[in-house]
Amino acid sequence: MTRDIAPVYDAIVIGSGMTGGWAAKELTQRGLRTLVLEAGRSLTPEADSREHVQPFDMPFRGLGDRRVIEVRQAVQKRSVSFDEISHRFWTDDVDNPYSTPDDKRFDWFRARQMGGKSVIWGRQVYRMSDLDFEANLRDGIAVDWPIRYAELAPWYARVERFIGVSGQAEQLPQLPDGAFLPPMALNCVETQVRDRIAARYGRERVMTIGRVAVLTALHNGRAPCHYCGPCQRGCSTRSYFSSINATLPAAQATGRMTLRPHSIVRALDFDTRRKRISGVRVIDAQTGAEHRYSARIVFLCASAIESARLLLNSTSPAFPNGQANSSDQVGRNVMDHIKWGGATGTIDGFTDRRVIGERPNGIYVPRFRNVSSKHPDFIRGYGFQGGAGRGGWAAATRAPGIGLAFKERLTQLGPWSMTFNGYGEMLPRASNRATVHPTLKDRWGVPSLHIEAQWSDNELAIHRDMNITASELLDAAGARDIRAHTHGPSTPGNANHEMGTARMGRDPKTSVLNGRNQAWDAPNLFITDGACMTSSSCQNPSLTYMALTARACAHAVAELQRRNL
Amino acid sequence: MDRRELLQWMVAASGLTAVNRLSATDLLALGRDAHRGTAADVGRLKFLGAHAAMTVMIAAEHIIPAGATPGATHANVTAFIDTMLDGWYPPDDRARFLRGIAELDGRSMARYGEKFVTGSAAQQIALLETSDVEVAALRSTSDAAANDHWFAMLKYLTVWGYCTSEVGMRETLHSYPMPMRYDGNARVDA
Repeated sequence: MTRDIAPVYDAIVIGSGMTGGWAAKELTQRGLRTLVLEAGRSLTPEADSREHVQPFDMPFRGLGDRRVIEVRQAVQKRSVSFDEISHRFWTDDVDNPYSTPDDKRFDWFRARQMGGKSVIWGRQVYRMSDLDFEANLRDGIAVDWPIRYAELAPWYARVERFIGVSGQAEQLPQLPDGAFLPPMALNCVETQVRDRIAARYGRERVMTIGRVAVLTALHNGRAPCHYCGPCQRGCSTRSYFSSINATLPAAQATGRMTLRPHSIVRALDFDTRRKRISGVRVIDAQTGAEHRYSARIVFLCASAIESARLLLNSTSPAFPNGQANSSDQVGRNVMDHIKWGGATGTIDGFTDRRVIGERPNGIYVPRFRNVSSKHPDFIRGYGFQGGAGRGGWAAATRAPGIGLAFKERLTQLGPWSMTFNGYGEMLPRASNRATVHPTLKDRWGVPSLHIEAQWSDNELAIHRDMNITASELLDAAGARDIRAHTHGPSTPGNANHEMGTARMGRDPKTSVLNGRNQAWDAPNLFITDGACMTSSSCQNPSLTYMALTARACAHAVAELQRRNL
Repeated sequence: MDRRELLQWMVAASGLTAVNRLSATDLLALGRDAHRGTAADVGRLKFLGAHAAMTVMIAAEHIIPAGATPGATHANVTAFIDTMLDGWYPPDDRARFLRGIAELDGRSMARYGEKFVTGSAAQQIALLETSDVEVAALRSTSDAAANDHWFAMLKYLTVWGYCTSEVGMRETLHSYPMPMRYDGNARVDA
């Protein structure tokens, strides 16, 4: 039986992660009494950060509790930042199942806790440009973005100023500069590689330090990074941006936020007469009891695929295919970034040099394909991330010898190697799609999804080109023993950049959201997580999600004040 | 592990042939190391029996011996290996590991007329080097085949266990405590 909770809130935010935290902050700071519903448990930086736990204090010394993880987190463990400590920040795959076709794996990485995936994200933040916002229109692909860079630029700046982004301005039109804190340093070999690439390619191919939401100076009461390394285990000094480190505390400080953990939103109710979302149905994850909350506006920030799932599960006579889905685009156009193309090479020299500390950041090579010239094999492009380093004792685990001479080898560093790993744009396609599974349900009885997604020839051509140009960059850098990556393309979803399942557009017939992230079918519903993305660009997307969220919040509050909502 | 066994492995692990060659101070130090590093934990081992544990301890100490800095025994590598065998590896790998220890004893009997743990340090090292050469030969054609050799498993676990131990990180690798700063252009000896 559902218990109705009296409507004391102006706004409900579903999800407390990257975008939910921003919605909570912006809406409360603009005066709205806001209820934030988080499906998972509470988490605080003080109580839950584990970044300084040493391997000798882990039962399996960093190798993870294999037997348990293979059963309970068989999908989540494929993430690059999943480890013996950070596994607690991912969901349990048995409690939260989904299906795919047998021959089309899709890695759906999920986090249910206060802060969501912002606790475990990669922290790389790049602006998109009009090269991206105009791309669909120019190529005749899918639908046109309803906004251009100039409209989002001030919101990018607002987000950057709050979260703190360290980076180097490069004056590249395809990768607009932002409001940066001092950049992190390239190491000695990366500096040489950068300079040699510049000598061969000039401004066509540029290598810079990554732009990262990790502080290099005291910022808004948060301490600079101390270079301990494993950000995915939390940060007791709040040095990297996450909801729990920054936006949720800011929202809390207004006194207008109510944060409700263990609140699984099962469905949205729709008032057919008023054309408004009239209620949010919540299962208490601990007791199983169902509650119904209502408010004047609802921000859906549950993560791209989870948000699509909620809409598809919210059926009514008015919307038999799911809420806000008159366009039939909800759940379609699943995008990610294609990875695992690139190359590694050995750099001679610098044998008397090493790195001290763990820099939570690497290098970045902004997109250079299809920027000023046209590639014959594919549209769009990719960027490279990576870095230079020297191997340590791990190589000795498989090396010959025993005794004191062998022990001495443990302390010796290997040669310097430099690696470039590509992140490539994925085109939106209606056939890459999440649908409600006819029978499969999660632990709480909520219908699960069936996800079907695969790369197209365009992405596969991008992936092949990554190997070629990464090798060229290493050649320019003077590397020897250059080895292009030999593994095939990554599994869709594995970049943890899933998006596109409730896209923005200019026409209610072909898109779910308007240019202000407002659902065409229900104007008091705003969807600002990755679901709203009309194309994927090749940049890491979280900064764009946050900027779109902040912008949508300002619009929503203005509409409330104008009594349009 | 009882007192007699403890004494046996102490002698073997230290590379000495008889306890009576040790000074009182040496014995005290050895006993302290043994107590701190292993004896307390050996009593709590979950998978390895006393004989297998002793074999592992002695072999690990030969792979990473004490020298200017502590060795595998002091780093309590045996307890880590036991944890991995008990809670991490699939049954096939566990069985392969135990067969390897039996094979090591078989070779020791054939070559020297006694089990590995009671042999001299020189005998033990010769036996381990034989296995190490076998792994290297396999590796020249196939990494997978080399990694399937029980000695490759022991060595991997010994190195991993040592290099993730507090004593190994603090005294040999100098990776602990964390430096809490970043320098991308530091001297190797800095």
